[in-house]
This record gives sequence, structure tokens and C-alpha cells, in this order.
Amino acid sequence: MNAEVQKVVITLPANADFVDIVRLNLYGIASKMGFSYEDIEDMKVAVSEACNNSVLYAYGQEGGMVEVTFEIGRDQLSIKVKDDGESFDRMDRTENTVTLHDKDLHDVEIGGLGFYLMEALMDDVAVDNEAGRGTQVVMTKRLMRSEEKV
Amino acid sequence: MNTNKNEKFNATTERREGSCTVYLSGELDLSVAPDFRLVMEPLVGDSEIDLVINLKDLKYIDSTGIGILLSILKARHGMNARFVVEEVPSQIQRLFDMTGIAKFFAASRNSQ
Repeated sequence: MNAEVQKVVITLPANADFVDIVRLNLYGIASKMGFSYEDIEDMKVAVSEACNNSVLYAYGQEGGMVEVTFEIGRDQLSIKVKDDGESFDRMDRTENTVTLHDKDLHDVEIGGLGFYLMEALMDDVAVDNEAGRGTQVVMTKRLMRSEEKV
Repeated sequence: MNTNKNEKFNATTERREGSCTVYLSGELDLSVAPDFRLVMEPLVGDSEIDLVINLKDLKYIDSTGIGILLSILKARHGMNARFVVEEVPSQIQRLFDMTGIAKFFAASRNSQ
């Protein structure tokens, strides 16, 4: 692994009112790294969806904390969203990676879009959830510098 | 730079003869989803009006917000009532395209 990776860790209540705080931190870190406006907007959506999942499913009404770790590398930003909530199988990819493209309005079900958006907006997404040990989502966006034209 | 105040979600309703436009601004996410539902609830069931949601000043939407728009689409479609989403910022349009909800908005726009 890259020895130059620096970490910023924030811990927040698993509450919807704090998800915008994660977005603000992300904005600060990603813009400092030189990500484009579009990439930052993409990451904002993806990271918020991961936090939403922790808020909605991992803790229910119980309360609890979500830990967000920003791993700042030279060429990429990895964001880890971790909770200690109950295990859940909502992250089953075959079940949840759905879009509405091939559906009629009649058949559309609400929900399941969050995980799809994470995968579509980031370069890499890994979900790790073990019974009784909470869930961890790690997503990575690579930094494209304008001088590194292909 | 946007100040925090500008990011705060707001919904303003403007009624005109035969139509109702709801102007959204700020960030529509999980935390304000109940507020948005509350604003929309009495309007969605009114088949006498054309319902319009204007997104010109909306800065951000998450899957919760997209889900609410989808449920409104379904309800209005079921009632054969008009529902239009207008002035969608490009960043949000991109999410609509990605998720596939865009085609339903296009369809509802055409069925006048």
C-alpha cells in the first residue's frame, strides 16, 4: 500500500441530520486534492447513500455512531463508512443493483437505488458485512489530473 | 461558495388557476424527506390541478428524494393526473438518467 496515505476520521451520530456534515467534509478534502466539480458531486451522492444505509438500516431507532474515514492517497480518495449495527442482507448485490431502465412505471418499486448509485458513481465499491460486526462500505475515486491526458 | 443557509431545504408552493407549482431549493436528502412528503401530500391527491415541481434551485438530491418523486409519479399516473418536473439542473438530471427515472418524467411531460 501507499505509504503516503493520510487519514481523516470523523465519527457522527447515526442520524440523518448529520449526513450533510459528511458531505461538507468530503467537499473540503476532495477539493483540496484537486478533484473536479463533477467528481466531487458524484462522491457526495455516493457517500451520502452509504451513510443513509447506516442511518436507516443498521441502527433503526436505536441510535449509534457511524465512522467515516477518508484515506487521502496521491492519486485516489477512499472513503470508508462503518457502523456497528445489526447485520442485514440489504446489501445483496443481485437483489439491490437495480435501475428503472427496463421497467414500466407500474412495476417500479421504490428503494434499492442507493446502492446502484454508489456503484455507478465511484470507481470501486466494496461492501463488507459480517453478522454481529456491523457493515463497512469502502469506496474509491481515482484522481484524474488534467495534465495526465491519455 | 454557498453558505450553509443556502443549502437548507425549502419548498415554496405557488397556486395558480388550475395548477400548482412547488419550488424546491437547497438539499433534498433523508433528513428533510418527511418535510417534503408533508408539503406534497395534500397536492398529490388533487386530480383537478396540474402538479409541477420546479428544481431550478435544488442543489442536491439523494435516493430518498428520487424515491419520493417516483411515488408521486406513480400516484399521479394512477389518477390520470398531470405531473411535471421542470428546470432540472444538469447534475440532478444526470442522476435521473442514471437511475432510469428520467424516462418517466419525459413520459409524463408528453401526456398533456
